[in-house]
Amino acid sequence: MFPKLDPLLHSELRLAVMSILAGVDEADFTYLKKQTGSTSGNLSVQIDKLMNAGYIAVEKGFRGKMPRTVCRITEKGLEAFGKYVESLKEYLSAGK
Amino acid sequence: MAGTRIESSSRNMENHKEMTAQESLKIIAETLDGSRREIVRSTGKYFIVWGLLLTAFSVLIFILWKTSGKSAWNNLWFAMPLAGYPLSAWLKSRESGQHAENFISRTNGDIWKSFFIIACSAAAFSVLAALPGKNGIASLTLLANLTALIIVLFGLAETVSGFVLKNLSIKIAGWITGIGGLAIYHFIGPVEEQMLIFTFAGVVLAATGLIVKHQYR
Repeated sequence: MFPKLDPLLHSELRLAVMSILAGVDEADFTYLKKQTGSTSGNLSVQIDKLMNAGYIAVEKGFRGKMPRTVCRITEKGLEAFGKYVESLKEYLSAGK
Repeated sequence: MAGTRIESSSRNMENHKEMTAQESLKIIAETLDGSRREIVRSTGKYFIVWGLLLTAFSVLIFILWKTSGKSAWNNLWFAMPLAGYPLSAWLKSRESGQHAENFISRTNGDIWKSFFIIACSAAAFSVLAALPGKNGIASLTLLANLTALIIVLFGLAETVSGFVLKNLSIKIAGWITGIGGLAIYHFIGPVEEQMLIFTFAGVVLAATGLIVKHQYR
């Protein structure tokens, strides 16, 4: 019996966002958009979902006169991401 | 099993595409690698800027020293950071939001900051050695070997930077700069031409920056 995968992470865009945030201190919305190649609207929706789950923290502010949205992964998010990767490993090792 | 579709506990989420374990791991690996590539590519830009500055300053100081016969022109080196840091800050402000910091980028920055602090301290001590009544053997030895010391530190910083960024071109450039610089110094000795060792280091650094930018464009 394999563990159920976290539905919040088992989506291409959200998984990509979490993978990026797991490797950096924090990332701008612009950076996430560039790295994932997603549209602003779709990225905003997925970021909100991750934020509502407590997986990431979002800070809105300004850099000079330009609005800036900064995202960073939380402890809860890091733990969920770790569990997700472990589950994937189980699936893969079972396939060998 | 690894190739079959894995279902999550919810089927109705937006942006949901059922992925295999391999696809999920591929996304994770690709995004992590993307961040690393972005950091290395960004480093290339700073290598070009500082490489060009180093080349320009070394040629200028060499010409002034050679024509005037005064080694005091070496004090112009202290002007290089005054030109380089505002330029670097401007470049960083331009890439605002396009770049993310992590342990690797911070460590790389710390390596070069450490080089800068130690190299400036060595240069400052050599200036002290030139003051009247301060001609201790230790200070004079430092003064005589300053170029060799700095080029070794420079090569070491570049090599370690290459290891941190996991980039072979940067590692090789560090070895070439450190060992090549020492070899040149060995043959020409402590004369005005020693400035051209820094020209060599600057050209290697700028060329490495171009190679890195090309590798990760």
